[in-house]
Amino acid sequence: MREQSSLKKRLLLLALSTVAVVWIGAATFVYFDAREEFDEVLDAHLAQDAALLSAQITHELAELETLHAPLLHKYARRIAFQVWEDGKVLLLHSDNAAQQHLGDAEQGFSNTTMDGHRWRVFTTWDDSGGYLIHVAERADVRDELAQDIAGNLLEPLLFSLPLLALMLWVAVARGLQPLGKLAAEVERRDPETLTPLDAGAAPREVLPLIERLNRLFARIDSTIQKERRFTADAAHELRTPVAGIKAQAQVARAAAGEAERIHALDNAILGCDRATHLIEQLLTLARVDSVDAGVAKPCRLRDIAAGEIAAAAPAALVKGVHIELPEGDETAVRGNPELLRILVRNLIDNAVRHTPSGTTVQVGIGQKQGVATLSVSDDGPGIPEQEMDKVAERFYRPADTQASGSGLGLSIVKRIAEVHGASLRFMQAGNGRGLRVTVEFWQPPRDNAAR
Amino acid sequence: MRVLVVEDDALLGDAIQAGLKQSGYAVDWMKDGVSADQALGTETYAAVVLDLGLPRLSGLEVLRRLRGRGAPIPVLILTARDTVNDRITGLDAGADDYLLKPFDMGELAARLRALIRRASGKVELLLQAAGVKLDPAAHRVLFRDNPVELSPKEFAVLHALMLNAGKVLSRAQIEDQLYAWGEEIESNAVEVHIHHLRRKLAPELIETIRGVGYLVPADKAS
Repeated sequence: MREQSSLKKRLLLLALSTVAVVWIGAATFVYFDAREEFDEVLDAHLAQDAALLSAQITHELAELETLHAPLLHKYARRIAFQVWEDGKVLLLHSDNAAQQHLGDAEQGFSNTTMDGHRWRVFTTWDDSGGYLIHVAERADVRDELAQDIAGNLLEPLLFSLPLLALMLWVAVARGLQPLGKLAAEVERRDPETLTPLDAGAAPREVLPLIERLNRLFARIDSTIQKERRFTADAAHELRTPVAGIKAQAQVARAAAGEAERIHALDNAILGCDRATHLIEQLLTLARVDSVDAGVAKPCRLRDIAAGEIAAAAPAALVKGVHIELPEGDETAVRGNPELLRILVRNLIDNAVRHTPSGTTVQVGIGQKQGVATLSVSDDGPGIPEQEMDKVAERFYRPADTQASGSGLGLSIVKRIAEVHGASLRFMQAGNGRGLRVTVEFWQPPRDNAAR
Repeated sequence: MRVLVVEDDALLGDAIQAGLKQSGYAVDWMKDGVSADQALGTETYAAVVLDLGLPRLSGLEVLRRLRGRGAPIPVLILTARDTVNDRITGLDAGADDYLLKPFDMGELAARLRALIRRASGKVELLLQAAGVKLDPAAHRVLFRDNPVELSPKEFAVLHALMLNAGKVLSRAQIEDQLYAWGEEIESNAVEVHIHHLRRKLAPELIETIRGVGYLVPADKAS
């Protein structure tokens, strides 16, 4: 398993490496700057030494007893000089200076290598022109000096970095405290608690996170409430058909005559069919409740309607009801074909249930101003004006209804319409009675229609 | 005994009607709250079986209106909701008893009998008068401890009279208890039933109060 990344560790590492990089950068700059300064200062010193030597040579050469100059300082060994008479005879030299010329006869600064070391050489002729003077200095002295200075700058970094790390750790921890609090609050919640998190105390950076979380909580909460209400409703709705079946069976058992017994048994069987239908509708509703249009693809409304009419027509004819689909243009909408079939099936089923024998259920498909419409009209008792907005509620059944629906058909239709971003309209059918349900598909389906 | 059943579910209503008929009741069946309310305002019932989830007018509202008119009819409510609150609401609205769906037809009939008996102010399970014992639950009649065969209508007439022993019932009142709404009432049917009862039992059991109605005298003992 991959180790979980830590924000604290990340911040700490970033801060520490930033400090280190800046510090090292500064030390490098100091090193090169110091080198340059030393070059100038020490070159000046070399020139001065040479001038000094040349003055000595002209006036006091006879008094110089020793061929070898003494070493006076730890850096002194790294200085060398030579005095050549007429540039040919080595008259005087320091003991570390070899026999050959330190540099050429050209006056000025030059670099050379001696005993494996790099040397900086200043060459000059004395005023009389009789003596050639080389004064040299080990170039690594300069490097050493610059390195010492840069090193002095880096040394505290070495000690202070762990200290800095410790302090940064504490600081970062304090800085991230609001996050920790938020995490603890979320952790403390039991899964049933879906009250929103307090956004007031949270830092601005995590506010979007809290807002999204709160919106999610609200949505889950409403889903759970809906789910619970639905389960309770479903359980209650199932009690009535079961009560009917039981009562009919008991009537059959106690029946005195054959006709009474058959009637009761037939009714019991009818009750089972109705309970089955109710259960199927409950399952369908539960299913469409949890889907979105998902795999939206072009669906031909006319084809879907024709298919469903063909499936529903035989049973409707037994009841004496005709289903009609007038000719017209094909209309395609984007959607989930499976769901659209369920929508059409429920609309037709609903209409056939409520329309009296000998009438016709009209299915209409059309398109105007880019809105594809599908409508199903029946010739039944219709819905009172004041109850029009209740028809799609779960388990709504109109008064005086002789039909035995589950009260869920139009809820299923409504849900599928929502998923497809379609709107649902209920009105009186053209003849002043009956119900017309119109589904208007606004194309293309609006985004987030599923929610 | 004539009872009103108010139930919007076609199959359940049909079964209750058939089942209560088997128990000897005359049953009116209403499928929505408004027609139930109208029936209760015009007809006389021994008891009401009332579903709560009704179209047009809720069962509770029907009950409130009934009690608002001061009608003392026993009411048994049928409910699909089984929370304590639902039951409390129903009983407080004026119901005398409740049954949770699905229920047993035998229990429904028994509870109705108990409600009707209590409403008549009687405590004994057997109704007695002039040597006749009537058992409403078993639909049995004993005369001097010998079983007597009675038709359901004859039983219903005797039941009504004995339940109201010592009180005069008019022919219309007896008819009301015999026939459900829409049932064909034969003229002089009550007279025929009374005649049969006198023949099968004792002629002096039922007294005719001319121009008023009939009466089973209350036992001296009770």
